[in-house]
Parts: sequence; C-alpha cells; structure tokens
Amino acid sequence: MIQIKNLSRVFRTEELETKALSEVSLTINQGDFVSIMGPSGSGKSTLLNIVGLLDSASNGSYQLLNQEMIGLKEKEKSKARKENIGFIFQNFNLIDELSVYDNIELPLIYNKVSSSVRKEKVLAIADKLGILHRLKHYPQQLSGGQQQRVAVARALINDPKIILADEPTGNLDSKNGNEVMELLTDLHANGATILMVTHSDYDASFSQKTILMKDGMILSEKVNNRNVDVLVTESKN
Amino acid sequence: MLKNWITIFLYHLKNNKLFAALNVLGLAIGIAGLIFALLYWNDEQSYNAWNPEKEKIFQVLVEMADGKVLANQPPILKSLLEQDPEIETILFSKGDYVNDRIYYNEKSVELDKIINVQSTFFSFFPFKIIKGDAISALKDETSIAISEDIAKRVFGDENPIGKQVKVFYGMFVVRAVYQIPGNSSIAPELLIDRIGRDFDSNKVQRDIFNFKVFLKLKDPSKAEDIKKKIEQIYYNELTLNNAKEQGITPDEVIKRDGRIKIILEPLSRARLHSVVDGYPEGRGNYQFLLIMAGLSVLILILSIVNYVNMATANAIKRAKEVGVRKIVGASRGNIISQFIFETILMSSFSILLGLVIVELGLPYYNEFLEKELIIKGSEFYLQLLVIFMITVMVAGIFPAVYVSNFETLKVLKGNFGRSKSGVWLRNGMLVLQFSIATFFIIGSHIVYQQVNYLSNKDLGFKGDQVMSITFTPPASDYYQEAPLLQNIFNRYITIKRELSKIKGVEQASTGIVKFGDGAMSSNVAYKEVNFQGQNMAVDFGMLDMMKIKVIKGRGLDEKFASDTINSVIINETALKMMKEKNPLGKEIELLGKKLKIVGVVKDFNLFSPEDQVPPMTIFHATSFNMSYSAIRRVYVKLKGDDMENTIADIEKLWASKVNTEYPFKYDFVDKEYARTYETYVKQKNLFSLLNIVVIGIALFGLFALASYSIQSRMKEIAIRKTLGAETNTLLKELSKQYILYCAIGFLIALFPVYYLLNKWLENFAFRIDMTVFPFIFGFIILLILTLVIVLSKAYQATKTDVLKYLKYE
Repeated sequence: MIQIKNLSRVFRTEELETKALSEVSLTINQGDFVSIMGPSGSGKSTLLNIVGLLDSASNGSYQLLNQEMIGLKEKEKSKARKENIGFIFQNFNLIDELSVYDNIELPLIYNKVSSSVRKEKVLAIADKLGILHRLKHYPQQLSGGQQQRVAVARALINDPKIILADEPTGNLDSKNGNEVMELLTDLHANGATILMVTHSDYDASFSQKTILMKDGMILSEKVNNRNVDVLVTESKN
Repeated sequence: MLKNWITIFLYHLKNNKLFAALNVLGLAIGIAGLIFALLYWNDEQSYNAWNPEKEKIFQVLVEMADGKVLANQPPILKSLLEQDPEIETILFSKGDYVNDRIYYNEKSVELDKIINVQSTFFSFFPFKIIKGDAISALKDETSIAISEDIAKRVFGDENPIGKQVKVFYGMFVVRAVYQIPGNSSIAPELLIDRIGRDFDSNKVQRDIFNFKVFLKLKDPSKAEDIKKKIEQIYYNELTLNNAKEQGITPDEVIKRDGRIKIILEPLSRARLHSVVDGYPEGRGNYQFLLIMAGLSVLILILSIVNYVNMATANAIKRAKEVGVRKIVGASRGNIISQFIFETILMSSFSILLGLVIVELGLPYYNEFLEKELIIKGSEFYLQLLVIFMITVMVAGIFPAVYVSNFETLKVLKGNFGRSKSGVWLRNGMLVLQFSIATFFIIGSHIVYQQVNYLSNKDLGFKGDQVMSITFTPPASDYYQEAPLLQNIFNRYITIKRELSKIKGVEQASTGIVKFGDGAMSSNVAYKEVNFQGQNMAVDFGMLDMMKIKVIKGRGLDEKFASDTINSVIINETALKMMKEKNPLGKEIELLGKKLKIVGVVKDFNLFSPEDQVPPMTIFHATSFNMSYSAIRRVYVKLKGDDMENTIADIEKLWASKVNTEYPFKYDFVDKEYARTYETYVKQKNLFSLLNIVVIGIALFGLFALASYSIQSRMKEIAIRKTLGAETNTLLKELSKQYILYCAIGFLIALFPVYYLLNKWLENFAFRIDMTVFPFIFGFIILLILTLVIVLSKAYQATKTDVLKYLKYE
C-alpha cells in the first residue's frame, strides 16, 4: 500500500541545513498497524506529514497505492488526500465553531456526497463510536476522549485507505487514552491500515510493528508480540 | 456545503457583533455614497439622450473678441441660412422661459416655462404628442401646445384640443398636448410661436442679438463648413457694414473690435460640456459631477480597504478552521469560494443597508442638488449589480487568497496567531487609508477657507436689509407702442411714492440689474477703445442705497437735469480699460448715444464673487427709451425694526397697485447674491460631511487593525514587562509604527491634494493662496487621532495580566 524509498527531507534556512529525514525506506502493507517512535527531532512527525501529503520530500520516492506522490501538484495532492487518508491529531483539531455533526460531515461535503447519504453515514459512524447523543454539541462541551472520538469519526467517515495518527493519546489522561487505543485496535481488527506516531511504549504495544527513529533515520523495526491481548477481551487476527 | 458555510459565518457574526456591524456599516456608507453619485450621474447623462436628433442638432454660439460666449444671435441669420442645402431645418427661439398665468373658464394656473419658438420646434425636440398633432401645433400665432402636466392642471379630464385659453394679452387655441420623454435641455410647459412678429419688430435693428438659433444638419460632419459660412455672414453683415458706416476699412474694424468666432455646439454636449448656458434648462455642473463621483469612489475604496483589513486580520483567528478543512479534503478553490461567499453575504447586507441609507437620504440629497432623483430603472439596477460584483471581487478576493495560502502544517501546530504573514498587505492598506483621510482633511480645509473667503469678501456693495422685489406690471403696460412704454416707468414712480409713505421703508429705487446676475451687456466705445460693458440703468438713489462708493466726481442727482439725459458713471475697471487719467467730462458712446462721464465708482462685484469685476457704466433709466420696459425689480431698503410688518405693508401695496394677479415675490439682495456661489457653499458642506464619514471609517479601520496587531504582540509585551519595561517605553514601542504609517500616508496624499485643490481654486478670480498651514494642520489632526486610538489600545494592553500570555505555550 505504501512504499517509501530513500526518502529525504531537508529544511533549509539562510545559514544552515537540517536533515529531518535521510534516506528513509519503509513499506506498509494493507491491514498493517505500524507505530513510529523516537525522541523529539528524530523525524517521525516529518515522515508522517509526508505520508499524509501535508509536507513534501526533498528526495526519494513515495508511492501510495502504486502511484508516485512526490512531485504532485497541490491540487492532486489534495485529491489523493481526501480520497485515501484520514487524520487523527494529538490536539484533535476539531473546528470549534461547528457542531459535532457538522465536524464529522465535513469530509463528505468536500467529497461531494449527497446530503441524504451524508446523514446516513454520519449517524452510522457516530453510533459505532458511541457519540450519537453528542451530535448536537460543540467540541468545547465534550471531554478530551469524546473529542478524540469525534476526530476519529471524522477521519473514518470517508472510508480512507489509511489512517494517520499523530500522538492520538498525547492530550488525554490514561483512561481516555486507553479508550482511544482500543478504538484503533478495533479498527485494525476490522481491516484498517494505521500509521501512528507516539511517544508511549504502551501505545506502541497495541500495534503490530514498531519503528524506532533517530536523527532522521530508521534505527530498528520490531514486531510486537501480542502480550497485551490480555487486556483486550476479544481475540485478534 | 452552503449550509456548512452559513453555520460558520453566523457563528462568527454572533461572536464579533460590533466589528461585523461596523464593517457592514462602513461598506454600506461607501456603497450609498456611490449610489448617490450614480443617481446624479445618470440624471445628468440622460439629458437629451432620448432625443434621436441629438447628434444632428447644433446651437449657434458666438465667441466675442474678449472671449465671452453668447448664445443669442441676430435675426439676419434666418434668411441667409435658409438657402443652405446642408441645413435640414432651422429653429429660432426667443431667449429663455417667460412666466405668466393661463386662464381657462374660471380656472387659472401659473406657468413658469413658456417659450416662444418657431413651428419647426417639434422636429428638433420630438416630444411625444399625446393629443392633437405636431404639424398643426404651432401652425399660426394663435396656436399653442401644452405639456401633459399643464393640460391636467388646467383642463382636468376635459380634452384640451381646440379649447380657447387666455395667456398674456390674448386668446389662444390649444392644438397639441405633449409629453417630454426624458430630461431635456428645453422642457417647456407651453409653446407659442410669435417669432414671425418678433422678426418684424426687429427689422430696424437687424444686428441685435436676441434669438437663439438651432440648426439641424443633414450631415453632422459638415458642421465645420457651416461654421465657416456663418462666420462669413457675420463678416459681411457686421464688419463690412460697420466699416462702411464708419468710413474705415474692414481690417481696421477687425483690428479694433476683434474677430467674431462661431461655435456650433451639438445638442449631445449641451448639458455637461457647453461653454455657455445656451438652453433654458441651463447647464449641468460637470466639475461638481466629477467631484461627486471621485469622492464617492474614494470613500468606497476606503471602506473596501477597511473590509479587507478586517477580514485578513480576522482570518488569523480562523487559521485552524482553514487548516482542518484542508486536511479533510478542501482544495484551495473550496477555501477561496467559502471566503468569497462570506464577502457576498456581507456585501449583500451592505448593499441593502446602503439602499436604505439612500432611500432615507434622498430627500435631503435632492434638496441639495435641486433635483428630483428617484431610484428606478433597469440601467440603475444593472449598475448596482456591477458595483456589487466589483465590491465582492475586490473585498473578497484579497482575504480569500490570503487565507487559502495558509500553510496547513504551521496552522495546525498552533502559534499561527503571531504569524507575520499578510502584515505587509494590512499595513499597506493602512497607509492607503491614511492617504485618503489626509486628502479629505486637507481638501475640506482648503475648500472651507476659500468659501469663507468668498462670503467674507468686501463686495463693494451692501445688500443687507435691501429687498429686491419682482416688479411685474400688468401685461397691458407692455405691448403698446413705443412712447407709451413710459407707462411702466410711471407706474414705478407711483409705487416709489407709495413706498416712501410706508413706515419702516428707508429708501426705494430701481435698477435694471440683478446682483450676481448682471445688467445689460453691450459695446462701450471711448476714442479708440471698445469693450463689452455691463450697463446698468438706475433710478436716483440706487448707488447710495447699495452703498456703492463714488471715488471721483459725483453720483447721479435729481438736481442736474442732464442726469436723466446723458450723464454716465463708470467703474474703476472701465476707467482702467479707457486708459484715461481725467475721465470727468469726457464722452463715451453707448448704444449709439454719447454720454458724458460725471463720476467714477469703486469696483463692486456684479457677478458671482468667483468672477472678475466687469467694466461698467451706470446711467439714469430715462436716458434710453428701452430701459423703461426692462424694469423688473424694485429695490427697497428697510429700517432695522419691525421688518415683518413693513414687508406685509409692501405686499399689500403690490397687490393693489402693481399687479393684482402676479404673486408678490421678493428676496433680500445679500441672500440673492449669496446664491451665485451657492454651489461652492454646497461643495464645502458636502466636503465637510464626507470628511466626517471618511475620518470615521478610517479611524474604525485603524482601531480594528491596532487591536489585532497588539493582540498578536501580547506575548512580546508580556516578556518585555517581565524584563522590567516601563509603560512609557512599551507605549512608545507599540505606537511608533503607526506614526510612521501615518507619515507615509500623509506624504503620498500631498501631491494629489495640492494638484487637485489648485485646479479647483482656478475656478475663482478671487482666491486664497495655498499656504502650508492646512497641510500642517491636517497632519497634526491625523497624528492626534492616530495617537489617541493607538495609545488607548496600547495602554490597555500594557495593563493586562502578564501571566496569562506567558503560560499560554
């Protein structure tokens, strides 16, 4: 699904060059749940942003669904993004001025989905994520966990091919954080492809594979054993 | 999508009520200003536009040697032009409108716009004939045509065709009723054709200029040839004749009198681009029209700039929203559309509010322009649509593009509120606002000074407490053979005697003159010198009453018998032109009669104070026979006390002794005179009003911008404060950039203000010099207003809680 080869990203200011990513190669297959870890400045967010088509690479190749993404115009990127990618952020990034319903509906509007289908889909996903009773509320009226659920609902509403999560539990207490991680695990169990950046070993342990980054390079890749399954009531795979 | 946009829009509207309201109001005022200007513009431009002949009709104007242009022509042109194959038709008309009452059975209606024209009138001005027909409308001297409005007022529902009415001195038959299709340079209420009779009575004096002449050419491009032909006619009939009579060569006549030039002015240019008031409806004031249009465009620009500034500043608050929208799939186009959509909504509110303002202000505006403008017409709504689209484009596209260029990543990482992006745009616009404000502050100051100068100028006469009463003897006094014309003068003498009996009347006299409007114009000759003089026939006491100073010799006096026959007084300007050191006792020639100079008066303003004082002669009304019939006004000086009763007494006298039918009309000379520069007083008032509006809008813009910009610097302020900065230092730090913008804006406006105002001042023969004072004053005012706004905002900022901004990250 995602093939990254020798990807580099250089930030230039007048005086110095900083290599945020150097020659990174990575493959993510359909149905994978991969987490990226590393200290701050290791390039993990940059990598996620490039995968999410929010940032562009200086060198190398990035194929999404066998289509080269490097060098695409803004308009094409925007199209590829809205068709294939769902985002979940640490700070939720909900629009405060819109109700929960309107927030979730937004991607469908930009994908030109008809109003009746939109309603159906929003209600379905809200039901699935247990926020049906919150649809009329505004983001500020919800708890952090609930806000992140709304953000997840928004990320999922378009049936994206891949979900990108940037420290999804970073702003949440452990109880709410756990809920969100369980949600992601559920999604994965139902076949979603997820790429997650995190600081937390605990969160990473929910994923199948953890990539460790430092100084813009991939240090190691390790496959997680499923010892956390104890905490999850139903069995995975 | 729309619903989503509207939700967000309403949310922001609710949370920024004050700014949104001020923004809409600002834009509405800008749009209203433009609509006002547009209504005026459309009205002026529509003059004669309906007339299909407008490019083929020309008025014959004469430019005299001294550059004065006259619209009146001598009757000799008629026979000589009639044979010309290039001319389709000719129309002679007798001067301006006259007024009289029209009688039908028991009913009578006062008419102000009666005009005496040839029967060819309707082929020049094809009014829509609703009753009767154009061909027989003026078929003989007893036929008249009347306007639809008059027909209704006189006849009600009756059919006026064939009915007999009484006007002036006799009976007439109504042959046609017409409707004028649009604004027309000639828009009479009643048409009458007595030109033939006037030609006959003018046979003796073939070169008296008293007809307006219009030509309809077969081919308008031949106008130049016709013009040359008429110049040739003038040469043959005037120059050659004069030369023969005076026994000199034609070249000497030209050398002495100058050459007469002809101007053929197409009807299409008559309203706004004419050199002279050749039509009874007069000219439009093109300069004032341009000023109105220019100022209103400036104000609209100002309010659009305000809108753009507010929108971009506000957009920072919405950066997150834009970022999120982009993440979930909005393209740049989507974002731009959304923000333009918001501008469309705001502009729609503004345009509606603008229309409300126009509707409410229209009566005052009409009074101001002395027009009857109404909001109507498909053309107007089309223009309104164009204004709307331009407003949306200019006001909407800047902020929309600006917002759509936000970098998603930066926005979502936060801290965007302190972004420097777009600051140059906002500051540039701020400078533009300062420029426009400078323009208005300085401009209105100079206009104010000039108009003040005019109204306080020593006019050379004193018109306060002097009534100028319209003197209209009954029609029977006119239309008598020449010797009996004395009727009118005799009637005046009687009235004068009666007036002196009224308690409260200090003095009464007459003069064939209207202050501000002029006297009789004709050639004055002294030895080799000729000039076009303003010649004022007066009764004894007139100069004394008007406090016109005699500086040499004496005024006219009853004691001298010769003063009613051949004594004349000249003014300083005339004296200068005559180049005569000892004028007393010398003779000048006027209208074929020799007059002896007995005195010289100090120059006084006869025309509007913007004009030069013309050379003048003053003589007793009985010196020339024709003066009798020209008495139109009686001047009465009142004593200071109990003027109300005095005026009532005079009115009674008028009703019984002057004309029982004509209403009593009077004005005070000083007020009547002030009307000559009324348009400038209006321009002054307009400028002052707009000045307030402009400064209001600009200050609001500055206030909003300063609020946002200081808000975005709160962290900096907090850090400076923790490091020990004092309030004074902070205030200086925060306000210095605005002082800089203020100065730049001021400098940019300097040249346009200087240039345009100088151009405006060129209208005046008597004008102020542009000093540096209004400029310094303008800058200080601008600076003070800026500082008040910025410092109050900055002071607020320095007093806020430091911790709030330091903890934020």
